[in-house]
Amino acid sequence: MSSRAAGSDFGASAHLGDALSALLDGELPPPMERGARAHLAGCPECVQELAAVDQARRWVRALPLVEPPFGFYERMLLERAQPTAGAFGARSTLGRRAGLAALGAAAAAVTVLGVGSPSQAPVSPAVPRLIEAHATSASVGADLLSKLAPAGVPVSFGR
Amino acid sequence: MSGSGVPTWEEIARDHGRFLYTVAYRLTGNSDDAQDLVQDVLLKVRKGLETYRPGSLEGWLSRITTNTFLDETRRRRRRPVDVLPEDPDRVLPPSPGADVASAAETLPDHVQDALRRLPEEYRAAVVLCDVIGRSYEEIGEILDVPVGTVRSRIHRGRALLRKALT
Repeated sequence: MSSRAAGSDFGASAHLGDALSALLDGELPPPMERGARAHLAGCPECVQELAAVDQARRWVRALPLVEPPFGFYERMLLERAQPTAGAFGARSTLGRRAGLAALGAAAAAVTVLGVGSPSQAPVSPAVPRLIEAHATSASVGADLLSKLAPAGVPVSFGR
Repeated sequence: MSGSGVPTWEEIARDHGRFLYTVAYRLTGNSDDAQDLVQDVLLKVRKGLETYRPGSLEGWLSRITTNTFLDETRRRRRRPVDVLPEDPDRVLPPSPGADVASAAETLPDHVQDALRRLPEEYRAAVVLCDVIGRSYEEIGEILDVPVGTVRSRIHRGRALLRKALT
């Protein structure tokens, strides 16, 4: 690769160098472009370099758009844009992943809570713990659903 | 858009999220750093740290993303553990797939890998030109360098890419 920069007049002893990419990109002023094309007509070395950088240019331009990881922006939206300052390079990957996982868990909790009435007071102990306790103390049987029913649906017989 | 015409970060995420992530990914070369870079960019937008001039929103995002990326890589370079060779013309090591990748079948992953191993200043210029499609003048404004420097970085970046992939 020659880095001998080209002026508007490309002499026989100079090569086009950086002007080759500018020529490909249409970034040379018309007088320089004419001079560059005239030079190319008689310089196999510059023609070869032009082909090389043109190939690289086409490779990069053919790169596709990249999809962000699933849920990436949604997690940030749920977080209400509270990313840690200086995230790029300042946090460990593990730290960021843990943060996003926590955000995901928080989002799931928000979703679940959103289904119920906002006026309902939290149940203590939690239903899963009641179910677990009931399953542990229930008689042995194959019907898991009927074992869990009393814990999920409290029934009162008479007053 | 907000009342002042400045896009909100939510609008950017919704309408330009894929573009922004692509720029970040092409600059950083991996998903983890790209996600961090995008978060930093949106944080700057949210805090109003970057002045928005009505015009190309993606051009504005490109500038913030590129400069955030370069600021961070320069900061890393100052740390002894992350010192990079100073010679911008250093020869890239061969790509893992270079021996099997012909000009006709060079895969995006090979190109991305070679792009990632370019010196950051060359990589930024190539990404701004060939991924985002900015003009040399715009790239010069974004990187705060003369157009002649832009031309040189793009050309050298492409030449190194070509060498790494053949």
